[in-house]
Amino acid sequence: MNLALLVPLLPLLGFLITGLGYKKLKHNQAGIIASMLVALSFIVSVTLFFILKSSGKDSATVTLFNWINIGSLNIPFAFLIDHLSLTMMMIVTGIGTLIHIYSIGYMHGDERVNSFFAQMNLFTFSMLLLVMGSNYLVLFIGWEGVGLCSYLLIGFWYKNPAYNYAARKAFIMNRIGDLGFILGILLLFFTFKSVTFSEVFQQAGALQTGSTTITLITLLLLVGALGKSAQIPLYTWLPDAMAGPTPVSALIHAATMVTAGIYMIARSSILYNLAPVTLEVIVVIGLATAIFAAIIGLKQNDIKKVLAYSTVSQLGYMFLALGLGAYSTAVFHVTTHAFFKALLFLGAGSVIHAMGGEQDIRKMGGLKSKLPVTYLTFLAATLAISGIPPFSGFFSKDMILSKAFEQNPMLYALALGGALITCFYMFRLLYLVFFGENRTANVHPHESPKVMTVPLMILAVLSTLGGFLNIPALLGGKLGFSSYLDSAVTSKSGEEMNHTTEMGLIALSLVLLAIVIYWAYNTFVKKAEVPAGDEVQLPAFQKAVANKFYVDELYRAVFEKPLASLSVFLFKKVESLILDPAVNNIGRGTAVLGALTRKLQRGNISFYLFAMVAGILLFIVFILII
Amino acid sequence: MILLILLLIPFISGLAVAFFKGTQAARTFAVASAILNLVITIFVLVNPVSEGYSAEWIGFMNIQFNLATDGISLVMILLTNLLFPFVILAGWGRSQRNVPMLNSLILLTQAALNGVFMAQNAFLFYVFWELALIPVYFILLVWGGDDRKSITLRFFIYTLAGSLFLLFGIIYLYQLTPGSHTTDFSAFNQLQIPEQTQTWLFWILFVAFAIKMPVFPFHTWQPPTYKMASTQGAMILAGVMTKMGIYGALRFLFPIVPLGVQFWQPVVIILGLIGVIYASVIAFKHTNLKTMIAYSSMAHISLMAAAMFVANEYAVKGLLFQVMSHGITIAALFYLACLVKEKTGSTEFHQLGGLKNKAPIFAILFLIAVLGSIALPLTAGFVGEFLMIAGLFQQSFWYALFGGLTMILGAIYMLYAYQRVMLGGQKPVFEKVTDLNRLDYIILIPLLVLIIGLGVFPQPVFDMIKIAGSALTMAH
Repeated sequence: MNLALLVPLLPLLGFLITGLGYKKLKHNQAGIIASMLVALSFIVSVTLFFILKSSGKDSATVTLFNWINIGSLNIPFAFLIDHLSLTMMMIVTGIGTLIHIYSIGYMHGDERVNSFFAQMNLFTFSMLLLVMGSNYLVLFIGWEGVGLCSYLLIGFWYKNPAYNYAARKAFIMNRIGDLGFILGILLLFFTFKSVTFSEVFQQAGALQTGSTTITLITLLLLVGALGKSAQIPLYTWLPDAMAGPTPVSALIHAATMVTAGIYMIARSSILYNLAPVTLEVIVVIGLATAIFAAIIGLKQNDIKKVLAYSTVSQLGYMFLALGLGAYSTAVFHVTTHAFFKALLFLGAGSVIHAMGGEQDIRKMGGLKSKLPVTYLTFLAATLAISGIPPFSGFFSKDMILSKAFEQNPMLYALALGGALITCFYMFRLLYLVFFGENRTANVHPHESPKVMTVPLMILAVLSTLGGFLNIPALLGGKLGFSSYLDSAVTSKSGEEMNHTTEMGLIALSLVLLAIVIYWAYNTFVKKAEVPAGDEVQLPAFQKAVANKFYVDELYRAVFEKPLASLSVFLFKKVESLILDPAVNNIGRGTAVLGALTRKLQRGNISFYLFAMVAGILLFIVFILII
Repeated sequence: MILLILLLIPFISGLAVAFFKGTQAARTFAVASAILNLVITIFVLVNPVSEGYSAEWIGFMNIQFNLATDGISLVMILLTNLLFPFVILAGWGRSQRNVPMLNSLILLTQAALNGVFMAQNAFLFYVFWELALIPVYFILLVWGGDDRKSITLRFFIYTLAGSLFLLFGIIYLYQLTPGSHTTDFSAFNQLQIPEQTQTWLFWILFVAFAIKMPVFPFHTWQPPTYKMASTQGAMILAGVMTKMGIYGALRFLFPIVPLGVQFWQPVVIILGLIGVIYASVIAFKHTNLKTMIAYSSMAHISLMAAAMFVANEYAVKGLLFQVMSHGITIAALFYLACLVKEKTGSTEFHQLGGLKNKAPIFAILFLIAVLGSIALPLTAGFVGEFLMIAGLFQQSFWYALFGGLTMILGAIYMLYAYQRVMLGGQKPVFEKVTDLNRLDYIILIPLLVLIIGLGVFPQPVFDMIKIAGSALTMAH
């Protein structure tokens, strides 16, 4: 099992080689080295999967050394290899490899390509620490590590101030979540006297369900997850994160980073099962985020922005699943989402590449014939995210929807509504980009090179067939994926739904999806409508949607501006006008005192004698009184 | 005996170097002396000496010249002797006035600091405490920047005023000791001072340390002084001299006036937390890189002050770890700030920007120091900060929440500063900016390696301070 050390070490090695040798490496060398090391890491992960399977055990711990040990607090630097971490490891390294390879083509010719690959490797390394850590603090190293890497990569093109702003925003929003997370870890530690998963979960059973402590712990940890997984109210960094090169978006949105919050909650399933209040909060936040972000997605005209809001929305579905206690379903959706979202972003990259950097879908169109591979793969991903059978997204989304139905038909209705919106904006995107006529003259789109299209094809296969990992009983399957995770996450078992109801629900959603797709087709292909330009005045509600409900503006007015004003106020008023002069006044006071006493030293002997006698008299009086 | 050697090497070589004629010879000699002292310090750490050094000194007052170490002083001595070689190196290759005298003063400061951290009686402690001030005063006055006269004077009077309270406190304690009076810490520690007395004596003793650290609102001398100070001056002040305040408070308050500590505990913790937020908020929109770093240092020290007064195991171990981490990080940051000044002629943010274009390695090393400062995991800052917040948490959730705001605010002001200095397009005036040279590597790489190294392997420091824990939790 010590082989497990190689999994994070290989990308770390890649980071060191490409980072330290960034002046020496030429052409594609950095990209090839970085991709190979992540690929090796993937191979090792798969090997571990089989080793663990054949060993007959559910988990293994690999300890490197004692990180912090001060008596009562003992934190080993150790990795936990179990079914959950293996699943995540394979996603991170597998999808990561494809994104790395694709980047060789995409970043070709960029002068800082070597730094780019160094940072991508560091990103992969951090994410692996996150999913492999055997305790909350090693998880936290990776947790903050991915925050740093996202900061670096979002601000990769550092000459642009807007990108730098987006990068800082991502890091700071994550840090807000991280403060909650670290407080949660501390409460956890002082409750259980340990931060190691196995020890914490073992003792958790002793706590009463719904007790204040466990509710508080889970809520604080949740704050961290909201930041990392971009949920309301900490989601606004993710859409801005598209400032980085497109493969970075693929990495952040699919394989790494945003899945961290879902992983962490799934990992802590035993704790969350004890906190029904927290689970309800998660349901509300997840569902609200899913629908809210989907609505915003309807009116975005930047290809990457649409995808970014779709990620926020899909993450909302994963949270919904978590809140329903269906942790393995959430991880299943993480997996299928990783396939199709990586594909969508890489496909978008291919489109942008072909369009010479253009990202506005109003200026695209008719790319179907020019970029056949990109089109077909993008289509597969669109079908998957919309939940059309037999594409992967259908299986995972349908499982979430039926869990919602089991809980409450209202939840189901809302979640289905969100899914329909998703379907609409995705087909809107697809039609506007690939159908109709090209709306920009003077560009000659061309298909991307093999190094980019082959990863697209692989991802397309995964997006298409990935759902068969977890075939439900209804279709004669055994839920292989979910039951594999059962040893690591404790899902709440709901009542088995009656198959007829389930069939009915699926049929209903399919009919509605078909209507939505036809509607989108009718609007954007038949009538060839193109969203209005930025200069056109939209009706109030549409305008609000197009402007993302002004949440960014709100945050700026409520948090950022006041903090900046406070900063200036404290320095210019409090520091410079009150505290600093106070010291000077004390100094001036002594000078005044000195000037006063100086008058006593007038060189008049009779005055000195008088003062002496008076002094002695006073002294005697003083003694007599006491 | 070996402790005396630690004291004498910088003292004697400091006196000797003043008589050197050649610039380079003086610098080489000074670095050699500092490195030798570092080697001996490491030797002491590896082979702990149980007995200290003691000699008759002022017989009629029963005051001895006795030196010894425990876990707390070892951390301080290690930090001091670790940083001074880099402080001296920071002067290399730069045009400075009267180099032999400057290096002499630096080494004398080092000697006095070693004395402060080893003295076993309060009188000796006080002598070294004041002795350290004098060479630093001249370093600031002669080698400082604009406005140095008035700022240095203020710095000097401010800290001296604090010290006078301390002197009064020491004399007061001296006459409390039984028999033929003494100023030994061991005797002070056994005093049973009535609670009423402890409540006022606490402030008499604390003011000097609060100014030195500094704790809000005793900090106003600090930002202008750091800004005006030469690189070497700032590295000494921020890296080591702030720790004198922490060390003094640990040495005097907790064992001698534990009831006073208990009484004032919430007040000082809250002052510390106010300091964290106050300094962090000011740092955000601050207009000058060096004063921004000064405020960031104050924010970190304020958290350390709060943690100190929580005084549980986590807080104290975190605090002592943070002493190392903060000292190294802030020294690196001030050196980097000095490089910014050298390369661009300014530390005003509005004149800076885009340095990464011409000096990418400079930017990367700057970023690593910034990350150490904002306590990213696997940097030394995280270990210290995490334990201190854990300590605060054990006392009160709210303490931890407000102290923990440093995580968010630190990221806000540090990354903003980094952006304003390094990122953005190439400015035409910086067309000729060059990347780091070899000397910069020699100074920065070891410091940054330590920042990361201690973050990955913090355990040796904890092993070193194991002894310290018991002496400190007395307040509980």
